[in-house]
Amino acid sequence: MAKTAMQWNAPPKFPASHYVDSRIYTDQAIHDEEVERLFKPSWIIACHESEIPSAYDYRLFTHPAGVPLIVVRGEDMKVRSFYNICPHRGNTILYDPAGNAKRMTCIFHAWSFDTRGNCIEISRAEQGYQKRFCKEDAGLREVKLEIGFGGFAWVNLDDASCTLREYIGPALDVLDPFMQEPLEVFHFNRAVVNTNYKLWHDTNSEFYHDFVHYFNRITGMMQPGYFDRKYTAFENGHASVGSMSIQYDKYEGSKERAVGWPGLAPGGWYMVDLFPAMTYNLRTSVLRIDTALPLGPNKVAIEFRGLGLKRDTPAQRAQRVFDHNTIWGPFGRNLHEDLLAVHGQGRAMREGTGSRWVIHGREENSTIHDEVGMRHFYAEWSRRMGRKSYDPMREGRPEPARAAA
Amino acid sequence: MEQRQQIEELVYRSCLALDDRDYKGFLALCDPGFRYKVMVYSPEIRKDMVWLDHDRAGMETLFVNLPRHNSDHSPLSRHATVYTVKVQGQQAEVVSALQVFRTALDGGATELYSVARLIDTIKLDGGEPRLASRVVKVETRQLGFGSHIPF
Repeated sequence: MAKTAMQWNAPPKFPASHYVDSRIYTDQAIHDEEVERLFKPSWIIACHESEIPSAYDYRLFTHPAGVPLIVVRGEDMKVRSFYNICPHRGNTILYDPAGNAKRMTCIFHAWSFDTRGNCIEISRAEQGYQKRFCKEDAGLREVKLEIGFGGFAWVNLDDASCTLREYIGPALDVLDPFMQEPLEVFHFNRAVVNTNYKLWHDTNSEFYHDFVHYFNRITGMMQPGYFDRKYTAFENGHASVGSMSIQYDKYEGSKERAVGWPGLAPGGWYMVDLFPAMTYNLRTSVLRIDTALPLGPNKVAIEFRGLGLKRDTPAQRAQRVFDHNTIWGPFGRNLHEDLLAVHGQGRAMREGTGSRWVIHGREENSTIHDEVGMRHFYAEWSRRMGRKSYDPMREGRPEPARAAA
Repeated sequence: MEQRQQIEELVYRSCLALDDRDYKGFLALCDPGFRYKVMVYSPEIRKDMVWLDHDRAGMETLFVNLPRHNSDHSPLSRHATVYTVKVQGQQAEVVSALQVFRTALDGGATELYSVARLIDTIKLDGGEPRLASRVVKVETRQLGFGSHIPF
């Protein structure tokens, strides 16, 4: 039955943990608070170590808080991260997104820095600063960085943060056996979509949306074992999804993924969602990593990486690239559908549309179409934000009675 | 000169066929050994990437499966300009500039969606020239929510 305005705006007949107020996806103040409370103190993937294999290789990364970062490998092969901001006049130091720089020199006044963040040259220093200021006073701002969990370079803007291991906890243990040897990035793509970052993470946190994917319906949902996959929730808002065997041969033009992945059963598939907005997705022959970087309440940049094994032969790598692109490339079967779906959510939920609630109410014993993954995320979101996701404006909405079964 | 005109027309007809979603018409312009690739250089990871790679059978399957998938339905308009044609024996290497425009169904606003270069190998062995291979070297790496339809 269609609803009146009052009925539409009334809280859904679920426990408050099973829905959210859609203003958490559109409100500028909430977005700004998320940057401060969720992203600044969290460990975020900046890049993969294979993107900076040699001494002096660097990679730029714009943190979701807006901070421009340099991730650079030193002559000692240690990877460090610094603000890409010259301490002199606040200029950008490095411009290209990646490269090799033994000295990082600001083009504006030629101040130079080494890969440990030391200022190693101030042009005409004595003439201008006499003894009042010297290069020892002009180091770069260093940011915490750890390499881990498959060789990713994780950064944290909070000097007082916990360790990366403490932050991840056991969430990635399920993938640990498959990340024992060096990996290599072969695919990078950044999609900017007018939607909220959480809506992308939601999509990665539930499989009920397999209905949008013809490919997944044919190769997964209609196959034995699909409904046995279970969610496991972890501390800090992380969650994982167990494996199944994907029947690739059920999709015309597709085939068994012959190249596989060491230790992973043929057709195997594991996913781990990490708070606040990263996903590890190991599917048969490719590891895909999503890093969602909010640009505003209704705009997100999602960085997609595809990885294979560093030791791949050219033929193996070509097969992995093919497997990746078939499903997850910018022209792939599934990625476009997923992005289109969250674009549609952004379109329907933006300020003023009358969107009011988003329901996460499915309970299926934590199996694949259960929405427990999202509920777990929003419980953590509420805890860290100090706002209830079902009552983010603190309007004191009473929890509605549980709907009758 | 007549041969150059035939070659140029083949490139343009291939764009028109894709614009019209006349996939049979597009494949009719292709050699049985046709291969199609979308390639992109990433300055971020400093690597050439392949974003799509299909032989003729793979392209046929891609086209056949299109209606089974959920796709954006905004029309794409390809604007190609043939820059160079290098004939060597029974084939020609043709380099064209390509711009792809996308027009929103709701309201009809058109935006530049992608710029790229087409590198075509065209067979000239007798009858009508046919596409033996097409490499689309895409410059635009931010494609929003992407596309199921090749350029």
